[in-house]
Amino acid sequence: MSGVLGRRRLLAGVAGAFAAVPLVSCSGGSGSSPGRLRVAFPAGGATESLDPHTGSLFVDQARAKALFDTLVGYADDMSVVPRLAEWWQPDPTGTRWRIRLRPAKFHDGRPVTAEDVLYTYRRIADDSTAAQASAHFGDVDFAASTAISATELELVLGAPNFEFPAAWGAPATEIVPAGTTDFTAPVGSGPFRFVSFEPGKPAVFARFDDHWSGPATPAELEFVPMEEESARVNALLSGQVDYAHDVSANSVRLLEQGGRARVHSAPFGTMQSLLLKVDRPPFSDPRLVRAVRAGLDRRALLDIALSGQGRIGNDLFGAGLRFYPAGLPEPVRDPELARSLLREARADGLGWELQTSSVDPYFESAASLISQQLGDIGMRVTPRVGPSETYFSDIKEHGVASLSRTAALPVPTFLGQRMTSDAGGNNYTGYRSAEFDALHAEALSTADEHRRAALLARAQRLSREHSGMVVWGFSGWNVATSDQVSGVRGAPPNSLDWARFDRVSVG
Amino acid sequence: MIALAPRLRGAAPGARVLGAVLSRIGVAVAQIALVAVGVFALTALLPGDTAEVVLGEHADTGQVDALRRRLGLDEPLGTRFLDWAAGILHGDLGTSLRTGRPVVDEIAGNAATTVLLAVLTLLIVLPLALWLGARSGLRAGSRFDRSVNFAVVLLNSVPEFALALLLVGVFSVQAGWLPATAAGLSGWSLAAEPAVLVLPVAVLVAKQLSALARQVRAGVVVANSAEFATHARRAGLGARAVVLRHVLPNAIGPVLQQLGRTVDGLLGGVVVVEALFALDGLGSGFVEAVRARDLPAVQGYALLFAAVTIGVNAVVDLAARRFRAGAR
Repeated sequence: MSGVLGRRRLLAGVAGAFAAVPLVSCSGGSGSSPGRLRVAFPAGGATESLDPHTGSLFVDQARAKALFDTLVGYADDMSVVPRLAEWWQPDPTGTRWRIRLRPAKFHDGRPVTAEDVLYTYRRIADDSTAAQASAHFGDVDFAASTAISATELELVLGAPNFEFPAAWGAPATEIVPAGTTDFTAPVGSGPFRFVSFEPGKPAVFARFDDHWSGPATPAELEFVPMEEESARVNALLSGQVDYAHDVSANSVRLLEQGGRARVHSAPFGTMQSLLLKVDRPPFSDPRLVRAVRAGLDRRALLDIALSGQGRIGNDLFGAGLRFYPAGLPEPVRDPELARSLLREARADGLGWELQTSSVDPYFESAASLISQQLGDIGMRVTPRVGPSETYFSDIKEHGVASLSRTAALPVPTFLGQRMTSDAGGNNYTGYRSAEFDALHAEALSTADEHRRAALLARAQRLSREHSGMVVWGFSGWNVATSDQVSGVRGAPPNSLDWARFDRVSVG
Repeated sequence: MIALAPRLRGAAPGARVLGAVLSRIGVAVAQIALVAVGVFALTALLPGDTAEVVLGEHADTGQVDALRRRLGLDEPLGTRFLDWAAGILHGDLGTSLRTGRPVVDEIAGNAATTVLLAVLTLLIVLPLALWLGARSGLRAGSRFDRSVNFAVVLLNSVPEFALALLLVGVFSVQAGWLPATAAGLSGWSLAAEPAVLVLPVAVLVAKQLSALARQVRAGVVVANSAEFATHARRAGLGARAVVLRHVLPNAIGPVLQQLGRTVDGLLGGVVVVEALFALDGLGSGFVEAVRARDLPAVQGYALLFAAVTIGVNAVVDLAARRFRAGAR
């Protein structure tokens, strides 16, 4: 607070000193035209493409959302809501799924058909595409899957999965016209159509008047690449853009004071976790994992590392989401228990390295705080800062402990892709449990939703004790808009309303 | 700074100059080659490679290995270096691992912004530094001299990013006079919106002005108190003529050397300035290439930066030599 005030006073002083310098007045915006919504995102530079299936950055997903549609979307709790698919039904075994499409058109006027959906999912599952979402469709038997009519199709699975619809709303599963291989000027069925794009440069899209949900509010949408967070905030404050994606907790204070911008936060945006590898020493000793859990002061981590913007974690993914087990006891710091566990394991004074990087703005302060807190119970934790570019592949392979974060995903998806024995390297902690795998598989093959929820809850309670994934908090997810913008709300990343611009208006 | 090539004594003056130029070029080429080898080795030592970066967070080991093979990253380092070096001799900087486009095209695409920034900055810094430095030097110790010294040291002591944020805070966010970033513009289209360039150029000027102005001042102070200046004045030459014909030319040698360092500083400064003002220049391109572990692109940029720095310094050395010779 005082820092901001101090800076303001300093700015005023400098303004006075420079007042004598004559300056050319200008509008502030450069080439802004009415009806155009300008949104600033950190971008991927020269590697960017408009192929909706290969991009992994937030900006890729946001552009894909504007140009294309998915069969379903995710509500804030990651339950599915209909989009291109208006109806679906599994057979009693959970292996054959019938889907009916709503009437919808691609930008070139062709209807969206069952063939387009089959082509799209085949393309995603094909290894040579290197699609982000390939794991979601690995179990689909495409030889047996068919288009029943122009608007109806059947997808056949190798194993029962009553949570399969979650796959149709995953990031990077947008439906493209059958046969599409070139995405330089893509045709989709989304609320905006392609106008111009060059990798690393701004992208301009125009309203698609024939969209099935009605025409979008903005006539044009422009994505402006801005890597630096301060550049995005400044561009927003000076009126150059209308929307700034991914704003840090520090800037939130500044923006809220200025009165010229509005911050929209999703409180459970991102899981912040400490990953302990339980498949190797020292954390192969479960007492040490429990000691770490008991030794953390989560309230202090939330207040300091996350600047109070978020929630306390309870060692499970997915707080606030569908299938998150309710009624678990609140985590409480218990240094005495932690010390006695350490003594019992004969590990008093145990030293280990905590891998961290600048890939997430909260990691480094969290790492130093965690090493202090665990120092109090008798562990010598050394934070080790690695390069952000390869951080996630590094922590898969090396070390015993690391900080990690995961945006919102459906809980069954997360459990299947990160916690099961066959998750491979994506199971960062090396957790292997036949009991967990069985519970998860049984849940997916259970048609009754209440029973499925109970099974998933049992699986999660089990993994909470043994997986080595220590979820200490959930960081808030912030975007900001100018005070002229309406129709934006704080929605978790990957949800339908996140980075959704067809219902946004300016002025 | 680079040592001057040994003089060829006894040769005819023309041949001597030519020899000096040739040997200076030889030194420069050797330096560029050394930088190329060094950067290649250092980049190869960075943790991770393009395959890991491109595939990102959720890729499995099999996918990474496949891409590595496709990009030729499984070849021994020595082989890759020789391939690359052979390409350069044919004017080919290779292909970007990220985009598959020629590195030359990628660099050319980013050059416009940086060239624009650098040229504008030099056009402002050079006359301003000469004027401020000469005026201060001729009135060493005066109030003007002290104020200029105070101001340039102050500007130079603020880090580029802090100065940039301060200027944006005042002139864009508070006053609304100038755009905060180059949002949506790139390359030569920046020239059509000159207001966008005011703050970035101001930051670069502020950082480069100090050293150059003070070098001019120092040179002028020395030259002004030298025997030949006193003599010229005694001979009845006007103060202005003394400065223009005798003092400044004699102060110019070290100033030229400083100019070489100014160009080096500009190349470093654009990296920060481009990031803060969302400009897509060589600095941003270079940072992006390092981030993606795109070895051919990193090499291309490093080679370009080295060639510019070494080239400018070589020219400056030769020019300074010429001026020193002239003074004798």
